Amino acid sequence: MTSLSAAEAASATAPAMPAPAAASSYLDEGFNLWSWLTTKDHKRIAILYAVSITAFFFLGGAAATLIRLELATPQGDIVSAETYNKIFTAHGVIMVWFFLIPSIPATLGNFLLPLMIGARDLAFPRLNLLSWYLYVAGALFTVGMLIAGGVDTGWTFYTPFSTMFSSTYVVYALAGVFVVGFSSILTGLNFIVTTHRLRTAGLTWFRLPLFVWAIYATSLILVLATPVLAMTLVLLALERLFGIGIFDPALGGDPLLFQHLFWFYSHPAVYIMVLPAMGVASEVITCFARKPVFGYRMMAYAIVAIASIGFLVWGHHMFVSGQSMYAGMTFSLLSYLVAIPSAIKVFNWTATLYKGSITFDAPMLYLLGFVGLFMVGGMTGLFLASLAADVHLTDTYFVVAHFHYIMVGGSVMAYLGGIHYWWPKVTGRLYPESWARFAAILIFAGFNMTFFPQYLLGVAGMPRRYHQYAPEFQLLNVLSSAGAAILALGYLLPLVYLSWSLMRGKRAPPNPWNAAGLEWQTASPPPPHNFDSPPAPPRKPYDYDPTRPEALPGSAAAAQT
Amino acid sequence: MTSTPSQQEPIQPLPVAGYVWVWLALMVLLGLTLASSYIRLDGFNTAVNFVIAGMKAGLVAYFFMRLRSGDALVRIAAVIGVLWAFTLTALTLVDVLTRRP
Amino acid sequence: MNATSATVRRNTDEEVGLWVFLATEVLFFSVLLFGYVVTRIHHPQAFALASKHTDIVLGSVNTAVLLTSSLTIALSSVSLEMGRRRAALWLLPATLVLGATFLALKFLEYAHDIHEQLVPLPWLHFSLSGPDVAGERLFFYMYFVMTGAHAVHLIVGLALVAAMIVKVARNENPDHSCGAVELTGLYWHLVDIVWIFLYPMLYLISRT
Repeated sequence: MTSLSAAEAASATAPAMPAPAAASSYLDEGFNLWSWLTTKDHKRIAILYAVSITAFFFLGGAAATLIRLELATPQGDIVSAETYNKIFTAHGVIMVWFFLIPSIPATLGNFLLPLMIGARDLAFPRLNLLSWYLYVAGALFTVGMLIAGGVDTGWTFYTPFSTMFSSTYVVYALAGVFVVGFSSILTGLNFIVTTHRLRTAGLTWFRLPLFVWAIYATSLILVLATPVLAMTLVLLALERLFGIGIFDPALGGDPLLFQHLFWFYSHPAVYIMVLPAMGVASEVITCFARKPVFGYRMMAYAIVAIASIGFLVWGHHMFVSGQSMYAGMTFSLLSYLVAIPSAIKVFNWTATLYKGSITFDAPMLYLLGFVGLFMVGGMTGLFLASLAADVHLTDTYFVVAHFHYIMVGGSVMAYLGGIHYWWPKVTGRLYPESWARFAAILIFAGFNMTFFPQYLLGVAGMPRRYHQYAPEFQLLNVLSSAGAAILALGYLLPLVYLSWSLMRGKRAPPNPWNAAGLEWQTASPPPPHNFDSPPAPPRKPYDYDPTRPEALPGSAAAAQT
Repeated sequence: MTSTPSQQEPIQPLPVAGYVWVWLALMVLLGLTLASSYIRLDGFNTAVNFVIAGMKAGLVAYFFMRLRSGDALVRIAAVIGVLWAFTLTALTLVDVLTRRP
Repeated sequence: MNATSATVRRNTDEEVGLWVFLATEVLFFSVLLFGYVVTRIHHPQAFALASKHTDIVLGSVNTAVLLTSSLTIALSSVSLEMGRRRAALWLLPATLVLGATFLALKFLEYAHDIHEQLVPLPWLHFSLSGPDVAGERLFFYMYFVMTGAHAVHLIVGLALVAAMIVKVARNENPDHSCGAVELTGLYWHLVDIVWIFLYPMLYLISRT
């Protein structure tokens, strides 16, 4: 099927393609709960994940709401210090492990990876379902423990507090996270084998969408980093339960060992959170600028470089922990290095926009926001990577602002943008564009109002994880809490209008965006087996022509023949 | 469905006798490592034992686990865990070994 | 699967997946290796002293047993490829027996360790003394954790081998069993390789 005939068949200007008599979508394969809970279809599993992580997102958001409520006044007047510790621990544990780490990979990755490479499903469909069950079991168990009594160690579980002094449900929380870790590992394994082995004929690595590269690199991190976390949590639990271990200086151990082990996972974990977002960015920005990505190969290499160098920088979380100065210098230098491929990506997205034919649909708004906010977050990371500056900034709100700019301003915005972009493909419905644009702008405004003041608070010296603070910090805190209210409203809007669109949205054609990529060469929503006939890979990825923005990608070349 | 095989030259499968020879080599190495630890070599004992262990592991991986005829992909998978473990330990040692007491 | 003639042998998707899984297992154990290395750097003499109290005979015999079990499982895989099911039907049980022997000897060793009061739990008496008792306790902590984690993996391996015996005996799907035994073998060899490193780390630090 040439791209020209695909254009004829799927032009967005034509009326919605009438479904052939026998065709059904993956959504029609059984309507009861059992068919969903026993599915092996990657598309349904993706939706199972999407529903679960949304629930956990709002749960983590509820914890954030309590935090911002408490911090609106300098006194610790809403909750006690111990309860506050439990709240920010819950916020961190839920948001990191039960929302961000699975988010784009397990939802968009699960749904799109086979489609983007022209495959029927992942390499190991039953393993995929097992991944979801492990995730739900571990996450529910941990959240149960967080609610039943709570954990007050912070999501970082630092020793010796977690092993010797905390009187909360630490071991249970560790067990739950341990189980969820296996979900991550199996998903990563599945994606790696799928990407290597199930690409359709002719789809070489350098013709793949950058989203696939990003998911692949993320999977490498999942597979190489998560086992280290798993065993570290086991050692933590053993030390807490049996009173003997390698992290306790009184017993001849070294508390820094825990930090080295913990951050060996947790730093690459942040790349698990951001690389998929970068993948989404390359898909959306090229589509709405109608332009091939600038520097495709460098973008692919940058993804691999971020994933690799990202494993070498973990000590920048430990500059003031007591590690040696030489280690500090080494990790500082390596941290500066990892900024280079990230910067290359930001430059290349910008260059992609240059002389593009840009439209500002909701996905584009989200991803433009992503690029800007990720850039700010990334640059403030460089402040923190500088040893001397970090001595002042560490454990202040500067760090909190930095990682929220990347994880929320970056990853969550990209996730929302991706959800909107692929919504027609996944659900077969179009979302209401005006509402979506409004929500995107509201989220952007609310986000900045929440987190920019926190940079200033950090520089001014306000420590993190404190439920009360000096009165001179109140104005900025009130701004931040007000921003959080706007942000919360912004997040609730998509929940409402996206749900509405499921029932009342216009039916979507196979390719409403005239986008490049094999996933758009099948119906919206796709049939259970993804493709009726093996799709033809493009001559090159992102074959857009900015001088003919309404044309399908690849049609420029076909039009010349 | 799958792309073309990465290797084109035929690999002779290892005959049964070959497996027994590998096992014999493993036993010899076991004896060597055990015997060498009764000789006082100070720091070198650990190094010798580690090298011998590496050789044993290599034999098991190359012959018993058939890395000999494996794709590049499985060979990389075989090595990368070790490489990453080495990275974790090495960079941590940059800290541990350079602390001032 | 017939490999008697010289063929290009390409790994199946399942084999690739299993190798990726083995990489995760290597990283899982590497945390313990890391903990051992750093703790030993902090307590070199204590580790050397304490290591002398491990049972060199049981440890060495166990190493030989496990290496032999790798041979038997590798040969069972080869036998199935050559269509020699009967050979596999004694090689696989031999693997099971050898693995079970390892476990039995290990538990015997644990019993000795408990009897000699080498268990570093705070509420038990620890019989070793010396200038750095904390370090010696940490050695035995690592010893129990590392051999314990290994034993757990070995038990899983035994269950898999048992399942393979049933599968091969039933002979319902010979091609499938061939692949499954190969995968089980790969896991088994990893468990062997972990022990190959644990053995010198725990038993051979200093025997002079």
